[in-house]
Amino acid sequence: MKPKKCQVNDPECHLDVIREWHGNLESNLTDLIKNLKDIRNHSKVAKRAFSEHYAKTVELTEAKTRFTYEVSHELKAPLASVYNILNVILEGYLDKDFDKQKELLNRAKVRINDVIKLLNDLLTFSRLEEGTKKLEKERIRIGEMLPSLTEEMEAFAAINDIEINWDLPGNLPHIYGNLELLSRVFINIIHNAIKYSNPGNTVEVTGKKENNSFIFIVKDHGIGIKKKELSMIYNIFFRGENARPEHKKEGMGLGLSLVKRIIDAHGGSIEVKSKLNKGTTVGVSFPTT
Amino acid sequence: MAKEVLIVDDDPDFVETMEIILRGNGYETRSAEDGEEALKKVKEKIPDIILLDIMMKTKTDGIWASEKIRSNDKLKEIPIIMITAVNKDSEMAKFKLGHEEDMEYMPVNVFMEKPIESKDLLKEIKKLIGKP
Repeated sequence: MKPKKCQVNDPECHLDVIREWHGNLESNLTDLIKNLKDIRNHSKVAKRAFSEHYAKTVELTEAKTRFTYEVSHELKAPLASVYNILNVILEGYLDKDFDKQKELLNRAKVRINDVIKLLNDLLTFSRLEEGTKKLEKERIRIGEMLPSLTEEMEAFAAINDIEINWDLPGNLPHIYGNLELLSRVFINIIHNAIKYSNPGNTVEVTGKKENNSFIFIVKDHGIGIKKKELSMIYNIFFRGENARPEHKKEGMGLGLSLVKRIIDAHGGSIEVKSKLNKGTTVGVSFPTT
Repeated sequence: MAKEVLIVDDDPDFVETMEIILRGNGYETRSAEDGEEALKKVKEKIPDIILLDIMMKTKTDGIWASEKIRSNDKLKEIPIIMITAVNKDSEMAKFKLGHEEDMEYMPVNVFMEKPIESKDLLKEIKKLIGKP
C-alpha cells in the first residue's frame, strides 16, 4: 500500500496515518502471537515425542545391558566350574580317587554341553532378530512331523515318571515354516510340561485344525506359575520362583522366550494359562496353508 | 579343631571343587545353596569364614546374605569372601548402592572373580583367618 501523503498543516490527515499504522501493527502483533502459540504447541508435541523416544531408547539400552550381563553370567559360571574341576584333578587333589575324578569329568562334560546349548539358543535368537526372511521355510505336514517327535518325548516322560496322552487326529493341516525351529517349539512346550509336573502326573497333548489355524495345546497338572509372574515368562532367563534350583528344576529359562520369538516369526500366537500348584495349559496357534 | 569355611553357591560343581581344595588343605567345610540357607547355618554354628557367591537364582542372593550378616551384632565380624562369576568391579559398585556417602562402606572383606585359582583362595583365607 502506498503511504498516504499529508499536507504539513493537516493534523487530521497525520492522525489518520498514525491510526492506520497502529491498526496494521495491531493485526501484525495478533498474527505474531498466534504464530508463537502454534510454535509453542508444536514444540510441546515435539518434546513429548522426544521424551517418549528417549524413554524407549533408555529402556532398550537397559534391556541390552541386562541381557549381556545375564548371558555373561550364564556362560562364565559353568565354564568357571569346568575350570575348577580340571584344576582340582590336575593339581593332584584326587590322585587316589579315580571314581571321583571320573564323576567330576562327567559333570564337566554336562556343563560344557549346557554352554553349547545356550550358545545355539543365542545363535537362533540372533537369526530371528535378523528377520524372518532369512529363515528357510517349507510346507510342513504337521501330521507327519509331530508323531516323529513322540518317541523322544515319551523317553523323557518315562524318566520323569509322567504319562503323555496324545490326541493327534489323522487330518492335521500343513503349515509353512522352518522345520527345525517349529520342532523346537513343540519339543520345548512338551518338555516344560513334563519338567514342571509331579511324578505320576499326566500331560495331555492335543493337536487340531480349527478354521484356518492349527491349534496345539499342552496341559499339565504340575507346579504351575504364580499369577504375578505370568507376564514375565517370555523374558530371557526368567524363571518362576517355584521353578528354581531349590526345587531341583534344571534349565536356564531361555526356552520360552525363544519359543515366543519363533512363533512370532511364523505369524502364530501363544497363550499360557496357569494356576499355582494346579498346572499350566499352553495353547499355540499357527496359520495353515 | 580345624577352622571351618561355609561355602554358599547354587552351583553344586563349584561347591564340591571348593570343598575338595579346602578339605585337602586341612579346613572343615559346610555348604548352603542360597542366602536363606546360609543364614540359617551361620546361626546354627558360626563358621570361621564365609565364601559367598553373589548371584544365586533366588531372592536371597549374596548381597542379601551379606547385609543380613553385617547387620547382626552376633554375626557381623565373620569374614566374608564374595565370589562373582561376572566382573568384580561392577559387582562392588552394586554393593555401594544406597551407601554412596560412606566411602569406606564394604560389607565384605574380599572380592574374588570366578574361576578361582586354589592358591589365590588359600592365600586370601590364610590372610583373613590364618592356617587351618
